[in-house]
Amino acid sequence: MPDLEVSVSTPVLEVRDLAISFSHPRPAVRSVSVTVDQGEVVALVGESGSGKSMTARAVIGLLPDGAVATGSVRLRGEEVLGLPEAELVKVRGRRVAMVFQEPQTALNPVRTIGWQIGEALRAHGGSRGRAARERAVELLRQVEIPDPEERLGFYPHQLSGGQKQRVVLALALANEPELLLADEPTTALDVTVQAEILALLRRIRDRTGTSILIITHNMGVVAHLADRVVVLRQGEVVEEAETRELFAAPRHAYTRQLLAAVPRLPGPGELVQALPAEPAPDAVPALEYDDVRVHYGSRMRGRVLPAVDGVTLRLERGEVLGLVGESGSGKTTLGRLAAGLVPLAGGRVRVGGEDLAAARGRRRVDLRRRLAFVHQDPEASLDPRFSIGEAIREPLDVHGVGSRQSREQRVLELLDAVRLPASFAGRRPRELSGGQRQRVALARALTLEPQLLIADEPTSALDVSVQAEVLELFADLQRRLGFACVFISHDLAVVNKVADQVAVLRAGKVVESGSAARVFGEPAHDYTRRLLDAVPVPDPTVRDATGPALHPHVAAS
Amino acid sequence: MSESLIDVAAPEHAAPQPDEQFDQRRRPSIWSALRRGKGLAGVLLVGAVVALGLLAPLLAPHSPTEQIPGANLVGPSGAHWLGTDEVNRDLLSRTLFGIRTDLVVVFLAVPIGAAIGILVGLVSSWWTFTDVVAQRVFDLVLAFPTLILAIALTAFVGPGLRTVFFVILAVELPVFGRLTRTSVRTVREMPYVEAAHVVGAGSWWQLRRHVLPNSMEPLLVQLAVSMSVAVFIEGAMSFLGLGVRPPAPSLGSLIRDGVRNMYDAPYFAVGPLALVVALVLGLLLVSQALAEARRA
Repeated sequence: MPDLEVSVSTPVLEVRDLAISFSHPRPAVRSVSVTVDQGEVVALVGESGSGKSMTARAVIGLLPDGAVATGSVRLRGEEVLGLPEAELVKVRGRRVAMVFQEPQTALNPVRTIGWQIGEALRAHGGSRGRAARERAVELLRQVEIPDPEERLGFYPHQLSGGQKQRVVLALALANEPELLLADEPTTALDVTVQAEILALLRRIRDRTGTSILIITHNMGVVAHLADRVVVLRQGEVVEEAETRELFAAPRHAYTRQLLAAVPRLPGPGELVQALPAEPAPDAVPALEYDDVRVHYGSRMRGRVLPAVDGVTLRLERGEVLGLVGESGSGKTTLGRLAAGLVPLAGGRVRVGGEDLAAARGRRRVDLRRRLAFVHQDPEASLDPRFSIGEAIREPLDVHGVGSRQSREQRVLELLDAVRLPASFAGRRPRELSGGQRQRVALARALTLEPQLLIADEPTSALDVSVQAEVLELFADLQRRLGFACVFISHDLAVVNKVADQVAVLRAGKVVESGSAARVFGEPAHDYTRRLLDAVPVPDPTVRDATGPALHPHVAAS
Repeated sequence: MSESLIDVAAPEHAAPQPDEQFDQRRRPSIWSALRRGKGLAGVLLVGAVVALGLLAPLLAPHSPTEQIPGANLVGPSGAHWLGTDEVNRDLLSRTLFGIRTDLVVVFLAVPIGAAIGILVGLVSSWWTFTDVVAQRVFDLVLAFPTLILAIALTAFVGPGLRTVFFVILAVELPVFGRLTRTSVRTVREMPYVEAAHVVGAGSWWQLRRHVLPNSMEPLLVQLAVSMSVAVFIEGAMSFLGLGVRPPAPSLGSLIRDGVRNMYDAPYFAVGPLALVVALVLGLLLVSQALAEARRA
């Protein structure tokens, strides 16, 4: 057990009145003060643009060009802000290490894992040759990768996303840093993998006494891992408190808003929303998958991978079907299938009783008019050259609906429906925020009054509070307009909020399906239960019962 | 504090959202790069040469083919600013008229070649089969060095401005075809193109409304580069005697004449050389400025 008494005198990291500004009118960081004690896990929480990443970057001198930082950043009492590059090199990796968000890009694809760990050791004049190899094995063991000797010769592509993130962690730990900066370390990972990585981070802290500054937007992650929380907003600290205290009694209005915006899953025993009225059994469903199969890869090259493997699902009119599953489960493919964007390898997809693949010419165009699709990335789903009004009007233009005036009128109606002012019609997508763009995408999807809307992770690129607004808007529109919807998301809590029916997918097969209340309330399948358990609950008291221990100081208080 | 847009948008949401970090400025058009620095210098250089060429009939003291008695290979003087050539023609007049040949090549042959190339690249890249065929044909054309292509073509159609025109078409067409294809391939994967597809827009609609406009910027940069290359091609071809036929002047043929008379009249090629440099440099500056504006 590391000696934790040192921490009382000098904190590992002490950031005072840090301010970072660019030529941009608004400073990225206005005034941030954070301290991290020995062996402590501190979470920096905030929405995009709050300056949390910039603060972390300032600690290891990785600010982008043109950024001016003032204030003070001390590592064990030594000032590091404004150190020359040559001095910073000694700090980076050795005293402070960084874990990046995307393990995919943080590792060099053409070098083996062993080489990359060796490089991290060499960079600080550490061990070489056999000793380096032994140290690498030890590091991989520390991050709990099985068969570390063998894995040293692996290339990043041979590892899964979770394993890659473990290797990134091993690289960070190579020189036994005092402080680990983790910038959204689990955001790119599936929930079950996220839970493992969080547990690992916690164990590393317990074993080595490394302090961790974790940057995240996920309140569940915070509740699960952090001892103390610093809430940032627009480059300023709005609240700082111990985790339990913060969740139990948030003092600042913004923190309360942030916590309220987090979608939650029903707790065990909590009975969920009333079931929707059963539709007449003979009604034609809005969407029907009948033993649907989709393959990836080429048969000629002999590599055919099933992306969707014999899925049969039914979506009644006016209902919302949530498709959940981890990456590679085929949920996106199923959604794209309903929009006719993916070729079918077997089975039937019927939209409003009609076979989309078999329809030709005029009928196909008519069928398409009943469909709409909302993409994940609001950044890319609007043509940068089109004004908002043009983008919303496009479906009308394509199908030649109505006169010019009536189209313009419809655009204004739709803008109003998604709660954007009419003046937005003349703006470009670039001038809008992510949430506003997603509203526009929703408006465009609703232009032709579709009977079926397919939404592929429509809120996963948004901040929680924005996500909450968009979800509320979506639910409201869905109730008012009564369209059926396929709602695809990896976030179980989000799906729980909007879906009537849920299908849990895994490796292209439906593992479990039924009403949302039933599937989330009393999961019948093991995998569903595992998924639900892995979701970090935004409530630190849950962790106390099952999760890792708190920092001794916190536990004592 | 700046008023946030979302407040205006949704007044029922009492909580302010000022941390919307998007850029409220309209992105300056790529053309604004031509109004300052490098771009401006390029535009001025090209503009000056173009003006000289267009105003040649007004500016030139003599006809480009007029033989002036008693003025054989005289050096630069008040009467003949750039001197005269071995058959008593005024070099300034010939140079000014020679610009016109290059203007035809630069502002007609290149844009036509580019337009055809863009169209072929755009349409062919939409289907796999035509894509493969078109790209292999482009490979074939690009495999020829320009001059070899020029000589081969001259063997069939004979020397002349028309040949220069065709060679430039042949050279630029695959360049633009390929570049368009690359752009199109990137853009057509964008969700906004898919969004148009899902609402029922046909291929042509998607190409015209979304893919082409969003693929234009790299093509614009290439256009400026290709124009400067075209000046070279005309120069090289006329230099080798494959270009315009005497007595019609062009910058390339004037330089060739200058080389022939290098020992008797070293000043001979200075004028045309300076103009070629100005034109090529100007076009390259424009293309650089555009490329930088695109990245910014």
